[in-house]
Amino acid sequence: MEHLSINDQPPPPPFPQGPGQPGPGMPPPGLLGGGRPPQPQQLPAQMFTTAAQLLDLTDKKLMVALRDGRKLTGILRSWDQFANLVLQQTKERIFVPPGTQSPTQTRGLYADVDRGLFVVRGENVLLMGEIDLDRDDDPPPGYDPADLELVQTLAKQKKAEEKAKEKRKIKKLSTIGFEGENVGEALL
Amino acid sequence: MADAVEDAGSVSEPMDLVRLLLDEVVCVKLRGDRELKGRLHAYDSHCNLVLGEVEETIYVVDDEDTEEDDLKTISRKSEMLFVRGDSVVLISPFTRS
Amino acid sequence: MNARHFSSVVQHILTSSSFFKTLIDHEVTVELKNDIQIRGVLKSVDQFLNIKLDNIQVVEELKYPHLSAVKNVFIRGSVVRYVHLPQESVDIQLLEDATRREAANQATKAKQG
Repeated sequence: MEHLSINDQPPPPPFPQGPGQPGPGMPPPGLLGGGRPPQPQQLPAQMFTTAAQLLDLTDKKLMVALRDGRKLTGILRSWDQFANLVLQQTKERIFVPPGTQSPTQTRGLYADVDRGLFVVRGENVLLMGEIDLDRDDDPPPGYDPADLELVQTLAKQKKAEEKAKEKRKIKKLSTIGFEGENVGEALL
Repeated sequence: MADAVEDAGSVSEPMDLVRLLLDEVVCVKLRGDRELKGRLHAYDSHCNLVLGEVEETIYVVDDEDTEEDDLKTISRKSEMLFVRGDSVVLISPFTRS
Repeated sequence: MNARHFSSVVQHILTSSSFFKTLIDHEVTVELKNDIQIRGVLKSVDQFLNIKLDNIQVVEELKYPHLSAVKNVFIRGSVVRYVHLPQESVDIQLLEDATRREAANQATKAKQG
């Protein structure tokens, strides 16, 4: 074996596990990893698997942003290596940025919709973050809660505008040899 | 390993050409109407790149509903940038034209 | 497939993530394909280049209010466009050498394979 460098890795263990940090439902250290030689890295390898990254977030209240622009909050109950998720007590939060209703509207609006239990396919997850429960009840800076129906109507209107804008942009830029990043997909 | 060293100068696959661009200034065209110019410090087979002293050009359409929605560019600089390979369309050596 | 070949395959998959491991605990800015930029301390990276950031701050907060109460994020690797890095946290010489070595590895593998 040649010498180890930034490029070289010991093969990762099949599951995140190591001394001191047995995950729930995983065998205690020694059953699987006992025969493994000590790793030359300072950072434990189990930090670097998808499973280890998601383990910290299990049973926490999360904000999940999806590829179609939806923002969900819920408690993460289960997940796998593709970041497929099970969310409990899911709520969808709809935002309308300032200036949507009228050019003089200086503050944004938001409203929540109860959605219940969700299984989210990993592919559609943009990002997920742990919510700081101390800040959870405060409205986001610059935003006020508003009536759901109003927010839904405005959000729909906003989406249609953006779609039209995006269409114009793609058409224009295609003349100089560019193609949108996610043609046919509405991000944001 | 010895073979690899002997082969270090040859170009037989597309990525071999990228190897010759290491530590050179390159132009990279990306999805999402973007171009980058910067010094290539690293790449891998997915076309993930690390560029230094990067200048990014973003092409946008000015949407202030004027008759001729004009093409504009936005320029941004970044001292060191990792670029995910799936956005990369093409890589070319930078030639002052 | 012998053991050494296997480890070189694994190593190949992991090249970019190994680079990120050298950046753990540094402050970086991740830019997503939907233009949102999130600054935070890099906490971990896996083989898909999924990224975990701590103490996050969104660059245009008013445009992206949904992250206001969020303290750390898991970002799916596939939605990342760029990671902006602090220049001083990258050893350019080391990085270029590693890239050349990896290229040589690939060439050897192609010959054998």
